[in-house]
Amino acid sequence: MSSIVPTMRHVRGFDVARPLSIGVLVFMMLPLVFLPLASIFIFGTSKGLTSFWAALMAPEAIFALKLSMVTSFWATAFNVLFGLFAAYVLSRYNFLGRNALIVTISLPTAIPTAVAGFALLLLWGPYGILGRFLAPQGIQTMFTAGAIILANIFVTFPLAFGVIKPVFDTMSRSLEEASATIGATRLQTFWHVTLPSLRGAIVSGALLTFARAVGEFGSTILVSGNLAGRTQTAPLYIFAKFNEGQIEAANAIAIVLALFSFLIFSVLFFARDWLDVD
Amino acid sequence: MKAQQAMVSEVTTSSDANRSAAPVATRVVGVSKRFGKTSVLENINFDVAEGEALVLLGASGSGKTTILRIIAGLEQPYTGKVMLHGKDVTELPARERGVGVIFQSYALFPKMTVEKNIGYGLRIRHRKRKEIRETVDELLALVQLEEHRKKYPSQLSGGQQQRVAIARTLAYKPEVLLFDEPFGALDAQTRKHLRREIRALLRKVNVPAIFITHDQEEALELGDRIAVINLGHIEQIGTPLEVYSNPVNEYVATFLGAANILAGVIKSRNIEVGSALIPLHESDDFADGQKVKLVFRPEDVSLTKSGDAGPGPSCIARGIVEVTNFVGAYERVSVRIDFSDSCTDETDEEFYLTTQTPESQTSKAIIATRPKPEATAMRLKQGDRVAVNLSSFTVLPDLPPRQKEAPKK
Repeated sequence: MSSIVPTMRHVRGFDVARPLSIGVLVFMMLPLVFLPLASIFIFGTSKGLTSFWAALMAPEAIFALKLSMVTSFWATAFNVLFGLFAAYVLSRYNFLGRNALIVTISLPTAIPTAVAGFALLLLWGPYGILGRFLAPQGIQTMFTAGAIILANIFVTFPLAFGVIKPVFDTMSRSLEEASATIGATRLQTFWHVTLPSLRGAIVSGALLTFARAVGEFGSTILVSGNLAGRTQTAPLYIFAKFNEGQIEAANAIAIVLALFSFLIFSVLFFARDWLDVD
Repeated sequence: MKAQQAMVSEVTTSSDANRSAAPVATRVVGVSKRFGKTSVLENINFDVAEGEALVLLGASGSGKTTILRIIAGLEQPYTGKVMLHGKDVTELPARERGVGVIFQSYALFPKMTVEKNIGYGLRIRHRKRKEIRETVDELLALVQLEEHRKKYPSQLSGGQQQRVAIARTLAYKPEVLLFDEPFGALDAQTRKHLRREIRALLRKVNVPAIFITHDQEEALELGDRIAVINLGHIEQIGTPLEVYSNPVNEYVATFLGAANILAGVIKSRNIEVGSALIPLHESDDFADGQKVKLVFRPEDVSLTKSGDAGPGPSCIARGIVEVTNFVGAYERVSVRIDFSDSCTDETDEEFYLTTQTPESQTSKAIIATRPKPEATAMRLKQGDRVAVNLSSFTVLPDLPPRQKEAPKK
């Protein structure tokens, strides 16, 4: 019976499944991703670009954006260098506890960010395990820009490492051996042979880390103290202004952050060929 | 054994005399190596003269790559020394030895162009730009890759990559070139072609070279001398002709080329194999009653049909043709020798071939090869009765093969 009924799929060579499945995909993403993003732009610009610009140029808003960029930059710089070093050690040497270290490095992504911030407070806070000895010396780590960097480092810890390590693992040892027999020192080999092969991984690792750090909220709100104009990052600013009912102020920063992440991921996506060039 | 050694050393000394004019470029003295408790190399000794090509031939796991890595400084020997042009370099790291290693995968730097790869050795030595450019130009011309100078390694064929790898090492005038299975990654046609190319190139630049291979054909063609390596020992070292025609033991005989091996006993200056008596060579020195092995190459066997020309003076027995196989340049014939059927026995009875014949004392299969003209002139088919004549053979004492060493406690 079924063989007599013509199938729906191919109607005179036209594949119905193709436009249908693409349509379903876009339709499903509409309320989940597209519309929320679109709302930011619709609301943010609904009262005209001048009021958007004024909201953006508020001193506290500019400070929050700057603070986010600076703290994310230092966290990224540290995590890329550390990730490079950790990937080198963990792919070159085999030792007892190596796998345990790899798991530990990867752990921070799995920990809720609020827990991460809380953990940092328990260590560095005025009554924390280390903090209680530092506080009498007048050294205050929490509720400063330094605390934001620490929190950013913690939550983005494995990102650069995770991108760089696989490249190390697949890199042929004979390249470095060849360089040595040609007469290069370890440093020359690293600089001329190893590093160029890691270029793509380093750049994409850095972009990922930076994007993640700029958006960090959960841990930052715990460790920074959320002091406007002093330790308030861009995501905290959005939250604070929203609570105060200043939707426009929150919205202006939200647009900037959304555009910013859009930019980073476009670079990651479209520069893929350049990043992976062999 | 003594006889063999005497013969080999005689030949070796004569070729040594030829080589003595060239100074020793690389010397490996008493090198042994252990990984943990397993011994992988035992007392390795050899010299490579200036401009000479030595091939280390051995099966995988024989330790040949370890020898290469020890010379390059990528691996430390357990005992022994490595000397380059008279200088003991055993304690020097790889980068201070100045040897050129051509890795199996070529290990070209993927992010550098051909000319950057070739100039790398000079760049890290902080040579002047002009000097680097001139050397790179010279080497590009030498390996005929001028038009590819701006390309990246991934854009080159296997053969071109290999030439870049060689040029890259020649740039800093290496003490010796070490080739690790240089043709392993290439197809058979390219392989043959590149072998000749590299041989010609080496003659031009006159740099001593050590090749590693498991391919006997490659060894015969590339090497001025061949060292056959087995389980961490050098079994024999000599010119291709010496090693091929006078193998010192069964391993060498069977690893380098095909060999037929028959067990025999010495009886008053004759080797008794089955019912055949084969006179010993003048130089062979064996005691009466000693067990020996008669080793001969398939091409040293000539087959004559009974009734035709009759058995030659070097006939050892008669046999029956089991299989004939045409393999291009020659025909391969498998003959089951029947030692109860002596050469002088001229009966013309019918023989029946049974495939189920158990391997008995008197019956043994050997392989003979015949060049195409001979194969066409005298056709052989399954079941033909032939006389087996030997034009050349080697007699070796019956020794047990080398055992893989048990891990030392």
